[in-house]
Amino acid sequence: MSAIDGLRARLALLFSRTHSDARFNEEIAFHIEMETARLEREEGLPHAEARRRALIAFGGVEVHKEALRDGRGLRWLGGLTLDLKLGIRMLLKYPGLTLIGGLAFAFAIWVAAGAFEFAGQALFPRLPLPDANRVVAIESWDAAAGRAEPRVLHDFTTWRTELRSVTELGAYRVAQRNLVTSNGESQPTEVAEISAAAFRIAPDRPLYGRVLTDADELPAAPAVAVIGYDVWQHRFNGDPTVVGRVVQLGRTPTTVVGVMPEGFGFPVAQSLWVPLRLSPLDYARGDGPSLHVFGKLATGVTLAEAQTELTALGRRAAADFPVTHQHLRPRVMPYAESVALIDGSELFLARSSYGFFLMLVLLVCGNVALLMFARAATRERELVVRHALGATRGRILAQLFAEALVLCGVAAAVGLGVARLGVRLLVNAIETNTGQPLPFWFHAELSPWTVLYAVGLTVLGAGVAGVIPGLKVTRGLEARLRQAAAGAGGLTFGGIWTAVIVAQIAVTLGFPVVAYSVARDAADTRAMVADFPAAEYLSARIALDRDLPPGADTSFAAFAARRQTILRELERRLLAESGVVGVTLADRLPRMDHPPRMIDVDAGGAAPENPGYPGGYRTSSAEVDVDYFDVLGARVLAGRAFQESDMVAGTGPAGVDGDRSRVVMVNESFVRLVLGGRNPIGRRLRNRYDVQRPRSGEWEPGPWHEIVGVVPDLGMSKASDPKVAGIYRPLATDADVPLYVAVHVRGDAAAFGPRLRAVASAVDPTLRIDNVARMDTLSDPAIQFMTFWVRLVSVVSVVALLLSMAGIYAVMSFTVARRTREIGIRVALGATPRRVVAAVFARPLKQVALGVVAGGVLTAITNDDATPRALAGTLLYSVFMLAVCLIACIVPTWRALRIQPTEALRADG
Amino acid sequence: MSPRPQTDVLRGSLDLLVLKTLSLEPMHGWGIGQRIQQISDGVLEVNQGSLYPALQRLEKEGLITSDWQVTENGRRARFYQLTTSGHRALGTELDNWRRFTAGLEAVLRTT
Repeated sequence: MSAIDGLRARLALLFSRTHSDARFNEEIAFHIEMETARLEREEGLPHAEARRRALIAFGGVEVHKEALRDGRGLRWLGGLTLDLKLGIRMLLKYPGLTLIGGLAFAFAIWVAAGAFEFAGQALFPRLPLPDANRVVAIESWDAAAGRAEPRVLHDFTTWRTELRSVTELGAYRVAQRNLVTSNGESQPTEVAEISAAAFRIAPDRPLYGRVLTDADELPAAPAVAVIGYDVWQHRFNGDPTVVGRVVQLGRTPTTVVGVMPEGFGFPVAQSLWVPLRLSPLDYARGDGPSLHVFGKLATGVTLAEAQTELTALGRRAAADFPVTHQHLRPRVMPYAESVALIDGSELFLARSSYGFFLMLVLLVCGNVALLMFARAATRERELVVRHALGATRGRILAQLFAEALVLCGVAAAVGLGVARLGVRLLVNAIETNTGQPLPFWFHAELSPWTVLYAVGLTVLGAGVAGVIPGLKVTRGLEARLRQAAAGAGGLTFGGIWTAVIVAQIAVTLGFPVVAYSVARDAADTRAMVADFPAAEYLSARIALDRDLPPGADTSFAAFAARRQTILRELERRLLAESGVVGVTLADRLPRMDHPPRMIDVDAGGAAPENPGYPGGYRTSSAEVDVDYFDVLGARVLAGRAFQESDMVAGTGPAGVDGDRSRVVMVNESFVRLVLGGRNPIGRRLRNRYDVQRPRSGEWEPGPWHEIVGVVPDLGMSKASDPKVAGIYRPLATDADVPLYVAVHVRGDAAAFGPRLRAVASAVDPTLRIDNVARMDTLSDPAIQFMTFWVRLVSVVSVVALLLSMAGIYAVMSFTVARRTREIGIRVALGATPRRVVAAVFARPLKQVALGVVAGGVLTAITNDDATPRALAGTLLYSVFMLAVCLIACIVPTWRALRIQPTEALRADG
Repeated sequence: MSPRPQTDVLRGSLDLLVLKTLSLEPMHGWGIGQRIQQISDGVLEVNQGSLYPALQRLEKEGLITSDWQVTENGRRARFYQLTTSGHRALGTELDNWRRFTAGLEAVLRTT
């Protein structure tokens, strides 16, 4: 009982400081009053005298109050308040340090909090939906194949009628469709075919019109669409009268019935919704379109209970339909998990980024610590005096910590304030890189966890920046107290600070080198040398809807045939346009990123393998149409070009070789790099990693292909590596993958863009054209991402550079201040300015040089691009860095040289 | 030199006196001081100001509790009273004190 009594009393006392003070005041007042009354009564004193004596008898009120506060264990609190006040005063007194240290820390917090928030949203999404934790997804897991089985139309129908624990069950599938507006403009748009239940799970009110309803899903219902904010703004110019308008979606005239508000993106990030009209009667069990199923747990039902019910349904299906359902295990999961945003490796990346940003914060803190140490050192006398007046080492440390906390706290507040911008930047970068918007639940708000993380980093930062210098400064205070010349003490920058400075300069050197190499990559890719007049070519990405008229043959073969016909017709009509010289198709065009592949070549002599890529040769490849080299004006150097007979269509879907013709052409670099200049014609090659075995995950090599011709290098990779070994394969126009069309136009190729769209639309309304660009301005998302990356690294570099300069400046100032007396004596004894400078400079110069060398070596080791140009660049930059660091020394040196011996010696320092 | 008529309560015994005084009835701070003085016939005088930190210490240790009440003359005052553990502690303290004074007495008697 006593322990609880004690605890209760302690807590009450601790958490009610003001209250306790008030209570004590009242108690004292009562006491004095009672004592006064007693003296009046018993000793007949007049009131004033009685009160005076009562007060004397009580003793010093403030002393007792203080004793009471001590008794509550709150002394430190008063001290902390004082320290914090002092900290704020220090911020104002040292504006340079405040500005540089504060900006650095704000930057670190900005980056760290932004990344933490983003990773948090990716790993633990919070859906902005009512009862978000009840929104679930259901998938059918194929236990034998180890993946989800998406063709669940029949199961979806069963679940929808029988599941009790999940309500509002719906499904969606996503497809690209041409949206043709009334002005005839056609643009591919992502469309969600979705159950009306979606609009009950995400019940945002439409801006105009209505959402989809169950009645819209009936087969005979008129075709309707709800458009999102983005589509409304970009395709309809935000026209408020858009509801009721008929647009063409693929081949279907569709009435717009509603406009959703900004930010509405259910199911993932869509901006156009049409009703899902699928009947299980049209498909065999286990067949049909790929669907995603969603729903909402019934009130009071847990995920586990829903899973139990679903498992029972799954068992029944497995018993009833063993052929298709033997290995299928339906499972229910939180909705956001079903959107495969992050896979294992990215998860690891996201987690490791926490560590990276922690390192960044520590690095910045190390620097701030350096500045704080320099400041603390200049205040050594103050600290020694405080110690003499009775402040313990812990007390002084607490003060230094509080000062750092104020600085870091203010900086963290600024950093957090702009962290939203950081999240927005990251979201943009990822959307640009993947070419897809992120799911609707990503937003720029900061969660309480992020704020907590930032607070944690701030305290950690204050610890590093305040306590570590504090420990160093307060070491041996006793000894210094005994020295008469307090202030001329033996404080020096020890090994740890040297290490901090060296590491920082090394890193500072590294960042811009990375930025430079990325920037050069981006620039090189943009300016990629391709031996043809790229400005005369217009390129565009083309794809075909599978949106077929009712009753059409839905087999792959039928689709493949239709696709081939449409593409040929497109080519024919484009060629008939005036000004068009040539049209060709390929899966990748010059100046685009060609992913590398490892290949083997048959016996008969080859070049030595690149030790960087053991086990084969690294090549890039593209699939091209028969007239590709003709249209691009590339001469066949040896052997022959592709012929119509090489273009035999495969019969399988994308990625399956089928019985496609097994001939390839190679570029000049291939002959040199892979075959060592030997005659390539008739030689054979194969993909080393072609097909992965489903169970073991082992890779099997592909079939052999014969080389029939050689062409010049046509820009398959970036210019820093222009001589990539390239392979061209015959294009499979029947495969369901997006292709690129290149149109050779006389005159301005860009002006042909609208015509290209119009012709495509006329050939088939389901033919989608996007990414229209002149080939010399071709820029794929990779380059955009690189540009973003360059900017980011540049900012980091500038901050790191500033920090280094500030650090070096602080160290130099400190050194000069420490050695004022010594310099004075030297000058008095006749030392020349040169000698003085040499003496002062020796140490920082060594540190800077060490840092530059370390950074240079590190960069040279990590940078695989060891061309003389790159090395010269690194060297030049190192010299530049050295110069920058020396500039930071100018003011302190100037100060050192201005020291008058008489003043220095008169100073008590 | 005349003997001092009053004696400041030794710090060690103040807690015991407060606990003993409160064992009779709940009391406010001024009352405790007065009571000790009355019972000791004016021999023991509590330093008025230091009484309150002692009360707070005892409260923190859970030996006494306090709450606001109204005195006979209608004034609001903070009244202290013994807790169960306070009663127990008083017993132990009394035993200790008795042993201490017996020891002290024995020494004084023989020297």
